[in-house]
Amino acid sequence: MSTQTNPTAEHHLPGSDVAVNPPARKGNPWLPTPHGVSLMTRIELRRRRPSTKGYVFYGILFAIVIAICLAAAIFAPAQLSSTNFEIVLVMVLGVGMLIAPSLSATSINGDSGEGVLAPLQMSHLTAGDIAVGKLLASWTVSVIALVALSPFLIYTFLNSGWHVGEMLLTIGAILLVVLAFTAVGLAWSAIAARAVASVALAHLTTGFFLIGTLIAFGVSSLLVTDEAPERDQYIDWEAMSPEAEEALSTAYSTGDFSELDPDDYTCVDSEWAYTITHTEKISWILLMNPAVMITETAPIVDPVTWEDDGRAAPGLFANIHQLVSDARLGPYEQVGDYEAYDECAELFRQSEIADMTEEEMQAEWAEQEAEWNARQQEAANLERAPWVGLSVAGVLLIGSMWIVVGRLRVPYKKLRSGTRVA
Amino acid sequence: MTATMEAPAIADAISAQQVARAFGSVRAVESASLAVRQGHVTALIGPNGCGKTTLMLMLSGLLRPDAGEIRIAGHDPRTDSAAVRAAIGWMPDQLGSWDNLTCLQTLTLMGEAYRIPRATARERGLSLLRRVHLEEFADRPARVLSRGQKQRLSLARALVHDPAVLLLDEPANGLDPRSRVELRDLVREFAAEGRAVLVSSHVLAELDEMVDDAVFMSKGRTLGDDAAAMVADARLKYRIDAIDPAALQEALRQGGVEFEPTDTGAVTRIDGEANAAQALAWLVRQGVQVHRFGPVGSALEQTYMAMNEERR
Repeated sequence: MSTQTNPTAEHHLPGSDVAVNPPARKGNPWLPTPHGVSLMTRIELRRRRPSTKGYVFYGILFAIVIAICLAAAIFAPAQLSSTNFEIVLVMVLGVGMLIAPSLSATSINGDSGEGVLAPLQMSHLTAGDIAVGKLLASWTVSVIALVALSPFLIYTFLNSGWHVGEMLLTIGAILLVVLAFTAVGLAWSAIAARAVASVALAHLTTGFFLIGTLIAFGVSSLLVTDEAPERDQYIDWEAMSPEAEEALSTAYSTGDFSELDPDDYTCVDSEWAYTITHTEKISWILLMNPAVMITETAPIVDPVTWEDDGRAAPGLFANIHQLVSDARLGPYEQVGDYEAYDECAELFRQSEIADMTEEEMQAEWAEQEAEWNARQQEAANLERAPWVGLSVAGVLLIGSMWIVVGRLRVPYKKLRSGTRVA
Repeated sequence: MTATMEAPAIADAISAQQVARAFGSVRAVESASLAVRQGHVTALIGPNGCGKTTLMLMLSGLLRPDAGEIRIAGHDPRTDSAAVRAAIGWMPDQLGSWDNLTCLQTLTLMGEAYRIPRATARERGLSLLRRVHLEEFADRPARVLSRGQKQRLSLARALVHDPAVLLLDEPANGLDPRSRVELRDLVREFAAEGRAVLVSSHVLAELDEMVDDAVFMSKGRTLGDDAAAMVADARLKYRIDAIDPAALQEALRQGGVEFEPTDTGAVTRIDGEANAAQALAWLVRQGVQVHRFGPVGSALEQTYMAMNEERR
């Protein structure tokens, strides 16, 4: 090679001493191609490769994670507990949803500002290549964060009562959610001219789905609340003579109400609205939440039989699943189920109740408790419902990439306001 | 330059006809027409904000023109942008480099982006780095490069796929005098290799020796034949300075030569070097003590200045 550097040699071959024959291409392609996507991902990852200081920083972080792992191994209780594992999963989700969109949200407008986007658009890389390559590169960083947390993840998994397949399923769901929000960040960076705006908008979008859906659920619960006026009756303590009051107190303490004279007591009405919220109509708002979607992919833990099933006691995810399922099932009681409470009537019926045997009362309480437990178990065992959340992630992913590819296609018809092409 | 015969349209590597482009209410380019033939270097000259870069972007296929026709190596950027990209090497006016990557990595990856196999792209990158005198920076990250060096890297990047057409937007910006001379030689080499080169610059004196043709632009319009005539006229101008300016002017007047008097002598028009030699000999025979005789200077600069004067 070095022998060919003299200028006369260069003139023999047009361009330089190395002839290149890029393949001829036609038309105006925009779809991503395997070659283009992998090249673009490589370029992005190399460009964002951390410096020596960065490696030291990540090394320290990794060491801290391992130290926490060891500490947990020493101090953790012997029995199964899934909560530690679930907290690690939440950490992976949180880190992924913070880091990857931050990176992707500066990816397009940042490159355009630095003047390194247009030369790529001038090459044979298609808009799809650039978009998908940038998406995968930012997403890979969260995968690396997952790998960094993997010792902790594996250690806590061993003690969580989860099965390997279930772990992989939930991690897959987490990575999908992170991918979707990385795409959202990329879309904002293709829309907004300035990096500050696109990063803020990306995090606002994430925040909307994580917290906004909970607020929306709370607010819209007002719309699905049925009201029924109810009338209860109470004894009016204000209008009671001191003797009557004393007699009543005595009766409450002894349980013997037979001595009381009904004429000594006046009754007052209390009117109030009995409400029932039909959460089953709005539970889909909760299911849109990406964090809820992740918990919905987690294994079902039966609150009664978990020990026989070889599970840990219901942890974070199982409890969230139970709460969400409770919302999906809707109200336990219906309007009209309510029996008005009449203290005056009760008062003079007490003698009859007192006639109930201990066993009868125990049986009634046990029945009520069994009903409640059955409801709880039904909720905990309700079929998992990640489908709404998965659709949201899919729509965000595809919609965002659609926007990004549209924005990257050249020749530009119009430009983001306040920007130049190159 | 205008003496060359009209070439058939097929030979035009770059051709633009009445191209227009507006950004909202701002009409960046109103009507631009130009043609660059293979093996020719054409300058695109105009004041800041006259639409040069916008025109270059439309030629490169990055920006869609609102009206008009563009052909690059016979392809329309609107419908066949892939073929246009294969044919075009574009050096943007904005310097962008991947700071974390070495110069060689940059060129290799760009080559791969043009679907050149990696090994070939790497070799090509090395030879291009030698060509722009950056070989000692091959394995150093682009962030250590100075502005002028980045400029040269950008030029090398435009050449990775051996394009038939080169669009150079302000290539001389930030270059030291030596690099400018080298750039000039490089651009001439590119033309000798059969490439069509369109170069925009503000350094008009340098362009003078680099280009075969010039297209002037003002307020979004290319100035066609008028500007070309002005350049041709400016090329004829000779400055003659004598120890006694009055005697010189008297001799010219007596000889029936048209001239413009100056403080130190006169400016006149002479077509060709043979005529110039004869004219000088004649003046000396007339007894005029000529101490300076030569072309006025940059024809492009004169035209540019005259054009700007018209604008005021």
